[in-house]
Amino acid sequence: MRVVIVEDNVLLAEGLALLLRTEGHQVAATVGTADAFLAAVEEHRPDIAVVDVRLPPAFRDEGVRAAVEVRRRHPAQPILVLSQYVEQTYATELLAGGGGGIGYLLKDRVSRVSEFVDALARVAAGGTAMDPEVIAQLLTRRHAGHPVSTLSPREAEVLGLMAEGRSNGDIAALLTVTERAVHKHVGNIFMKLGLPPSDSGHRRVLAVLSYLSAV
Amino acid sequence: MKRVSGVRQRAGTAVRATGRLLLGLLLVPVCVLGLVLFALTFLSSATFIGLIILPYAVRLNRGIAGLGRRLAAGWQGRPVPAAYVPIKGGVLARARAVLGDPMTWRDIGWIASHIVTGILLAGLGLGVWGTLGFDLSLPLWWSAPLPEHAVYLAGFALDSWPRVLLTIPAHFAAVAVAGSFVLPWLATAQAALIRAILATPERILLAERVAVLTETRTAALDAHGAELRRIERDLHDGAQARLVSIAMRLGVAERLLPADPARAAQLIAEARLSTEETMTELRDIIRGMYPPILGDRGLPGAVAALAARCPVPVTATVAGVDRLPAAVEAAAYFVIAEALTNVARHSAAAGAAVHVHGDPATLTLRVSDDGRGGADEASGTGLAGIRRRVAALDGRTDLSSPPGGPTTLTVELPCG
Repeated sequence: MRVVIVEDNVLLAEGLALLLRTEGHQVAATVGTADAFLAAVEEHRPDIAVVDVRLPPAFRDEGVRAAVEVRRRHPAQPILVLSQYVEQTYATELLAGGGGGIGYLLKDRVSRVSEFVDALARVAAGGTAMDPEVIAQLLTRRHAGHPVSTLSPREAEVLGLMAEGRSNGDIAALLTVTERAVHKHVGNIFMKLGLPPSDSGHRRVLAVLSYLSAV
Repeated sequence: MKRVSGVRQRAGTAVRATGRLLLGLLLVPVCVLGLVLFALTFLSSATFIGLIILPYAVRLNRGIAGLGRRLAAGWQGRPVPAAYVPIKGGVLARARAVLGDPMTWRDIGWIASHIVTGILLAGLGLGVWGTLGFDLSLPLWWSAPLPEHAVYLAGFALDSWPRVLLTIPAHFAAVAVAGSFVLPWLATAQAALIRAILATPERILLAERVAVLTETRTAALDAHGAELRRIERDLHDGAQARLVSIAMRLGVAERLLPADPARAAQLIAEARLSTEETMTELRDIIRGMYPPILGDRGLPGAVAALAARCPVPVTATVAGVDRLPAAVEAAAYFVIAEALTNVARHSAAAGAAVHVHGDPATLTLRVSDDGRGGADEASGTGLAGIRRRVAALDGRTDLSSPPGGPTTLTVELPCG
């Protein structure tokens, strides 16, 4: 895969490049600002862009805004946003445009190289990768009387994994249950939340997130 | 002996009281001027010109009232508090400010009343001295060509030696004793009147104080917020980023270990180096939040450590800092640290001195050096930072740095 890295911290940019190269990917460009990010996407049309949330000059949420802008221009451009902290608001903003190919992970996850590379591949292929932390924030925000509070603990767990972008097979393996059982849980979740059932991984996430963030 | 010194003290008090009364008398023509000017401008303030002049007349009266306050403060030994509404803004705003300020009316009331009381009190006081003078001058009267050649004192004709020897000293003593009571009483009456009219009422002073405290509290919150943001940035860009990069390297090393142990070992070594850098950075950040040495050794130890770390030789004296609030201690530490950094960087000094003195109400810091002076507050962030930090605690900062030196920074921090 050809990757564009958007990271102003030299240490982290180097680390990411090192990791990606070791895993056999190609780093098309490493840039440090939102403008350079937009230009690099135009120039290289990478398979995926890995973007830091905080960028110069103000070091706030320039990365998120740049990612939203890139998606507006190229709706199919896969982007994986990395951050040292996650905000559910940012996740909602990133997902607002619809479509897949969006990831939002804590930088901590990068050190679990194989999982990170999986997430990278999933996003590049048009799927999603949401950090478990985002999901946790969403789930703790639910109010009493909200349909989510009617889920059983197991169903809530399955919903969380679904929201991370996992397939039913993955979830079954992670929870050491049969895929049939997972399928049943998913059906129950959709029923309880009043969502139309769907098979596509990222669409499930979108449905879940948009539903939860609309609270 | 004791009796003599008592008499002398009494006489001294009477003389001081007379001085106050005379000063009061001197103020009378000034008061007349102030009253007339104010009356004229006030009457003409229906016109625009009058409105423009009015604040100046009020300012003059504030000055005259200020003299009155000093008169009373000098006698009573404690200041007469005054708080005025500041005169600023456009013509209308200024006129409204002075007319709305209750102190304007108190001032003018006192000025008017003092024209009467000032003359009255001083007249009574001078009467006492006049009488004593008359007694002493009596012998002269015999030689004066007065009609009946007779001199009367207190109803007695002084026409025989026994009468002269008895009446004059007795009268003199009686007036002197009475005067020693009356003169201080007159001065006290004058001072009490001034205080009653010109001292700004407690509730206005309190309101003023609340306004000042609100402002400094806002500054404190701002400084606190800026401090938190700085710490967050330092952690986010520094230690946290380093930890992430360490984790990345270790993750890659883990994957490479079976296939390329040499490369993995290199990555692990890099990660270890980065760990050490992270620890240094965390130490700096922690020192920036609350210097550990303050917790361990208190302010004396911390100041000694700062002095020892400074490249310019520093003598430090610290006294009376046993029970300081932590916030004051931390602020003192940062002020001294920042000041010594400035000394080392800019002053070209051969030596510097740090003097810390605490009493129950105030902690005073003085950092001085024998360098080239000319410290400019606008040029660096150091001094502005000190000022902000001190203001946040309601303290005072004073910098004296003439070109050619020496430079002295004095900071007072309230501890109560």
